[in-house]
Amino acid sequence: MSAILDHLPEFWQGLIVTLQLTAASFAGAAVMGLVITAMRVSPVGVLRGIGTAYVETFQNLPLLVLLVLAVFGLPEIGIKAGLLETAIVVIALYEAAYIAEALRSGVNAVSAGQGEAARALGLTFSQSLRHVILPQALRTVIQPLGNVFIALTMNTSLAAAVGVVDLTAAANRVNLMEAQPIPIFVGAGLAYALIAACAGFVTGRLERRLVMVR
Amino acid sequence: MVSMKRMAAVAAVSMIGLSACSGTDSGSPAVPGEAKGGDLLAKAPVAAAADILPGSTMEKIKQRGELIVGGSLDAPLLSQQNPTTGEVEGFDADMGKALAKYIIGEPKVKIVNSASETREALLSNGTVDVVFQTYTITPERAEQVAFAGPYYSSGLTLAVRKGTSGIAKPEDLNGKTVIAGANTPAIPAIKKLAPQAKIVTFGSDPECMQALKQERGDAYVQDETLLIANAQKDPSIQVVGQPFTTDPYGIGLKHGDDQFKKFVNDWLKKTQAAGLWQQTWKNSIGTVVQGEAPAPPQIGSVPGS
Repeated sequence: MSAILDHLPEFWQGLIVTLQLTAASFAGAAVMGLVITAMRVSPVGVLRGIGTAYVETFQNLPLLVLLVLAVFGLPEIGIKAGLLETAIVVIALYEAAYIAEALRSGVNAVSAGQGEAARALGLTFSQSLRHVILPQALRTVIQPLGNVFIALTMNTSLAAAVGVVDLTAAANRVNLMEAQPIPIFVGAGLAYALIAACAGFVTGRLERRLVMVR
Repeated sequence: MVSMKRMAAVAAVSMIGLSACSGTDSGSPAVPGEAKGGDLLAKAPVAAAADILPGSTMEKIKQRGELIVGGSLDAPLLSQQNPTTGEVEGFDADMGKALAKYIIGEPKVKIVNSASETREALLSNGTVDVVFQTYTITPERAEQVAFAGPYYSSGLTLAVRKGTSGIAKPEDLNGKTVIAGANTPAIPAIKKLAPQAKIVTFGSDPECMQALKQERGDAYVQDETLLIANAQKDPSIQVVGQPFTTDPYGIGLKHGDDQFKKFVNDWLKKTQAAGLWQQTWKNSIGTVVQGEAPAPPQIGSVPGS
């Protein structure tokens, strides 16, 4: 136990970095995912193709591969950013594919009549998406989005492999000195579980408030 | 437009990084010279039947017919898998094989690629019999595991890009960004000697080297042997100064198994007395470090051993 208590500042610092990674990459993934979804349901064939290609590409590559590629590969072509920033962008791009899939399932759940009605009113594609389809779609996918958020939180631990000192890396460093992997990693695991539990609680509340009874 | 050449470079570099992650280095073998482990092991001693006490750990290993070693597959000169033969070569690997021969009569080992953060757990739950993995003996670790040895003494030193000025000793690292292997003794050592240094860590030695060359840090702190081997392969980096720490490597054993610890220490003494230790050193670390084999450290000379 003292192995954890003696190193609370390190754990705290690591937790802050994990929260930064999670919040920033989820925000980025949400924006990107929305764009991809709009492309996938758009009437323009090329955009649909790009959207599909994006989702298929990122869902079929391991995140660690992407992280290593971005951190060690991009500097070779002259693109070098900070480690934390690189990790945020890569995780956001990766998770956007999952958010896009969750949103698309929401769009599919909106009945076709809604879209037809919107068009009959004279709304353009983007207007009907913004005012009719997406608000309904979002309400049906709160729980799936919460799950993506939780998965994203866990995935941020991979950033430790490319030099970001997050909660996982902090636990590794403390363990190097204290040599007590069980209490240290159980402690770090509990911190991740706590973040996930908070996310689950929030999505549960939101869902109950916003759910649409059909 | 990104030229094909650049794309190829990205792909190649990412392969280096990826192979480093998976632990099998597909590049040229870092161990210069050919492995002579074979005839060395032929000379390695085998324990007398009376030494394999009934009910002991050694008897269990002998009956299993295989020594399970916690080790690395990507540490040049110490424990690295040769991509062409699949054999794991280096000082730690050969010592492990010699210990297996001493117990079983044949150098049969199975290497479990143990990460630094799992070694204590792997030993205490019995997944591995011994750990040969540049395992520095410290009093904190000795509370969790037992250490035979020390069987080798090493030290940390600095590598920089060729042409870097102003870094000659660890104190010069204050205010600089320093690269270190994740979970290596380099991290506490830097914190102690250069508290104002910013430490960036990567999972493996090839990744740290890549990060140094890509200017993600001003210096790379690592075991001297590894750095000399790296500098020989890659002329764009250089090793500066002398080792500034003493890291006594021990053979990790399950805590409290005094019988097995004594057995392993006895083997170590025999190996050293027969000159086999020195020959193993010459075959691995001695291929990059000049001069004769050093005197092996005194067994039990370090707190925790």
